[in-house]
Amino acid sequence: MKLNASFNHSLWVYHFNSGSCNGCEIEIVATLTPRYDPERFGIKLVGSPRHADVMLVTGPVVHKMKDRLLRVYAQIPDPKVVMCIGSCGISGGVFYDSYNLEGPVDEVIPVDVFVPGCPPRPEAIIHGVVKALQKLERIQGGES
Amino acid sequence: MDLATTLVTGTGFWNPLAWILGLIVAFIIAWIIYSLGEKGFKQGTAQAEPFISGNPEPEKGMVHVRAGNLYWGYMEALKGYYDRLVPIHTGNLHDYVLWFLGITALFLVLVVVFV
Repeated sequence: MKLNASFNHSLWVYHFNSGSCNGCEIEIVATLTPRYDPERFGIKLVGSPRHADVMLVTGPVVHKMKDRLLRVYAQIPDPKVVMCIGSCGISGGVFYDSYNLEGPVDEVIPVDVFVPGCPPRPEAIIHGVVKALQKLERIQGGES
Repeated sequence: MDLATTLVTGTGFWNPLAWILGLIVAFIIAWIIYSLGEKGFKQGTAQAEPFISGNPEPEKGMVHVRAGNLYWGYMEALKGYYDRLVPIHTGNLHDYVLWFLGITALFLVLVVVFV
């Protein structure tokens, strides 16, 4: 995919909750508030993976969400970048080794950017988005 | 009839040329929006499937309003009747002949006894 020149540096993000406690969701919403206002850079949440460049995954992957996570990941057009927000998605966090988990996010889909924290602060999420943007630009430039 | 004739109705007007022009402009706008759409997705993969919150796409027949939905209330109101009637309709001709013979025999008995 070659992005239209007017859409360069503009990230559309689809958020997927694979079993989060909603703590990370609160911080994601806080990231979108006027205090940080990432929309001025074209970064915004979209309602469908079909429109997204980045997939934001929060929470560890519970059994029932595994199929859905894989399906939504497959529905995002290429090139795509996956961001894992919060300790639970990275390692399982407080739910580590729980009976109802498939595991951390990177055991189900490939993750490009990890943002640790329980929950991570908006500044950390924005830093992760910048990293995701750099990764996306590298992919578009032909690098892996 | 002259195509360019404007029909004034009192509450508005009708002009075929104006409509054709409007449709052409609308088509051009729609085409521009369409051409700006996402071209990166791969046909024949999950990227071309409808997004239903991550749930699998049901069969086409399951997402349409079926003819049976139109008389659902009727079936619900007569549930007690249909619950007994439907199992009797086995589709086996022998069963139907047996019912026919049984009912005929019953009526013969009734006629002989009461008439």
